[in-house]
Amino acid sequence: MATILIIDDDPDMILAARLCMESAGHEVIEAADGSEGLEKIKEQRPDLIILDVMMDSTTEGFQFAIKLRSPDPTSPYAQYADIPIIMLTAIHSTTSLRFGPDEDYLPVDAFVEKPFDPDQLIAQVDELLNR
Amino acid sequence: MDDRFSDSQPAELSFQRDLSGDCRQLISMRWGVGSLVLIATAFAEIVLEVNLPVIGLVATGLAILGMNTYLTLITRPLSDLPGPQRRRRARQLVIIQILFDWVAMFVALHFTGGITSPALPFILVHGVVVAILLSSWMPYAYLALTIAILTILSLLERSGAIPHWYVIPALPLYLHRRPLFIAAQLSFIAITSSVVVYLTAAIMNRLIERERRVTTLLHTANTVSSIFSLSEVLDRLARGAAHALNVRAASIRLLDETGDNLNLAAAYGLSQNYVDKGPVDATGSQFSGEVLEGHPVIIDEVETDSRLQYQQQIAEEGIRSILAVPITGRGKPVGILRVYSDQPHRFSDDDADFIMAIASQGAIAVENAIAYETLYQSDSDRAQFVRMVTHELRSPVGGAQSLLRTLLRGMAGDLTEQQQDLLGRLEVRLDLLLDLINDLLALAESKTVGQREPLKRIPLQPVLGDVIKSMQVEADSKKVSLAYDAPFEIFAVLATEEGLVRVFRNLIGNAIKYTPSGGSVTVRVVERPSGAVISVADTGIGIPKEEISLLWNDFFRASNARRSKVSGTGLGLSIVKQLIDHFGGSVSVHSIEGEGTTFKVTLQIASPADEAA
Repeated sequence: MATILIIDDDPDMILAARLCMESAGHEVIEAADGSEGLEKIKEQRPDLIILDVMMDSTTEGFQFAIKLRSPDPTSPYAQYADIPIIMLTAIHSTTSLRFGPDEDYLPVDAFVEKPFDPDQLIAQVDELLNR
Repeated sequence: MDDRFSDSQPAELSFQRDLSGDCRQLISMRWGVGSLVLIATAFAEIVLEVNLPVIGLVATGLAILGMNTYLTLITRPLSDLPGPQRRRRARQLVIIQILFDWVAMFVALHFTGGITSPALPFILVHGVVVAILLSSWMPYAYLALTIAILTILSLLERSGAIPHWYVIPALPLYLHRRPLFIAAQLSFIAITSSVVVYLTAAIMNRLIERERRVTTLLHTANTVSSIFSLSEVLDRLARGAAHALNVRAASIRLLDETGDNLNLAAAYGLSQNYVDKGPVDATGSQFSGEVLEGHPVIIDEVETDSRLQYQQQIAEEGIRSILAVPITGRGKPVGILRVYSDQPHRFSDDDADFIMAIASQGAIAVENAIAYETLYQSDSDRAQFVRMVTHELRSPVGGAQSLLRTLLRGMAGDLTEQQQDLLGRLEVRLDLLLDLINDLLALAESKTVGQREPLKRIPLQPVLGDVIKSMQVEADSKKVSLAYDAPFEIFAVLATEEGLVRVFRNLIGNAIKYTPSGGSVTVRVVERPSGAVISVADTGIGIPKEEISLLWNDFFRASNARRSKVSGTGLGLSIVKQLIDHFGGSVSVHSIEGEGTTFKVTLQIASPADEAA
């Protein structure tokens, strides 16, 4: 039983992820954008974050992850830097960029392609929580 | 010939005349002259029984023929030389020939009676040759020297310092000693040869000028049609205009959007200081105003012409006269082309006509640039649209699919068997819809010219290995064996990584999809002289022979593929083809229906030099 923060601007996506996570016995908190996400992190310190890559802008998800994982020890989010992040993305197959977890460029722990397969998402969450 | 246009100029603007043709013509004419000397000597000696210095004249004739043989030999390899080198060598050869002929001419004149020689008019002939071949001042210098030497020769013969040959018996004895005769002959020769040389040089100058202009026009027309960058085209037009008129500088100014200012678009031969003087006021400047009305305007004397906005700066730049013509596109003035000279009264109406022709090329370049800009804009509009579709069209389908899958997995409560079945069908349909959207986006992207990513050096085997690893699950679930065989040594190919992944995901994905359980898919990499060849071979349903040629078309699916239960959009291979074309590679297919299909992709192997490019 863990607390999962889902950040996505698509309420249906949040609902689907929420149902998944709840069926796996996790507690879910939601945020509709990056700034709300950061607030929720400070308030409730989730055990894992599921992050959508594109929200208001095509890069909001990236910016969020980079901010949270800033290597600067004086960053206000330094204490949250070890929260695992799963990035939900459809971008993998459509833009000419090929993303992969890369510590320097994009500090996330795993990618799950959107629309996600519930079993795969649950498995990925469990794997990161048990790490 | 003006040496300012030497070989240091870019080749396309070099007006250095190629004299190699003239070189050959001179040689063939000289055969006639040498023979003429010998024949005339024989004729005078035997038929006319004139007392001639036969040995001297025969020696001169033979020397001419001998020299000519030598010249023929050294001129022959001329055509093998590259342009600038050939022009330089031909010029040298022409000068050598002129000097040789000059000496031979004086020797022959001396042996045929000096100032009384019947061969004196040959000076005119030689003068014409020199005026044709050499540049402006050289024929006159040559002429002065010739008259001087002839004078010296006459005086030496008169004084008896060298012998005088009496060639024409009818002439009075000691005619060559009469000062009046010598003076008359010399002045006659000087005047006639000056006139001849002057006329020839004038005609030649005009011809060269014409040639220069025609060449410039040809080059500018070429430039305009072969170069997309507007600033580069205009730079070349400015340079071409200045070179063609043989003047110091040229500039091109274009009207801005407001139509009030003329901004500098290209300059040649002007100082930075002058170039930076600021925009020209299109409505306030009388000079520019007149030009923009559509007529060429000539300023003959900068210092006294009040029509100029920057009169002082222009004078300080050392410019004395200006010719300006409008650049007109679609009936409207779009800018001004100006040429500048440091001499007053330099430009004629003829020059104006010519510069108008150059300016019309400029107008075409401006219009091309605007058309290209529009095209590029619509291209990026399309890319924008594609991005919009990415988000707006795919997210609702993605959202629906995610909800549906959670439902299907029973995460929102248990389902009856019928509900499970219906939702399962819905999932398949939504998957197909998503595939279609993704493929359409990929296709739109691969067809969008401006958006194309530059090619890089991509290591083939690691990328291919990753793709195969990611397709393993799909192959396992279909019970199709997936084999990979590649040489240990890694090739780098010219491609984009994303594109390469897409190509092989498509080809290997298709192979797995259309191969029944128990079959196999084999991916093999080999190096061939043509490049890296990657083959994807399956033991699947194959493609009907008559449909193979249609395979690469958008939305085409083979009839047996449509009959099978496998879903597909018919866009995958079309995307593969687009991408491989973009990589400069090729793809071919060999298939037997019912036995299997092999796709062969050939990609260029990238050398380390391509990395930098």
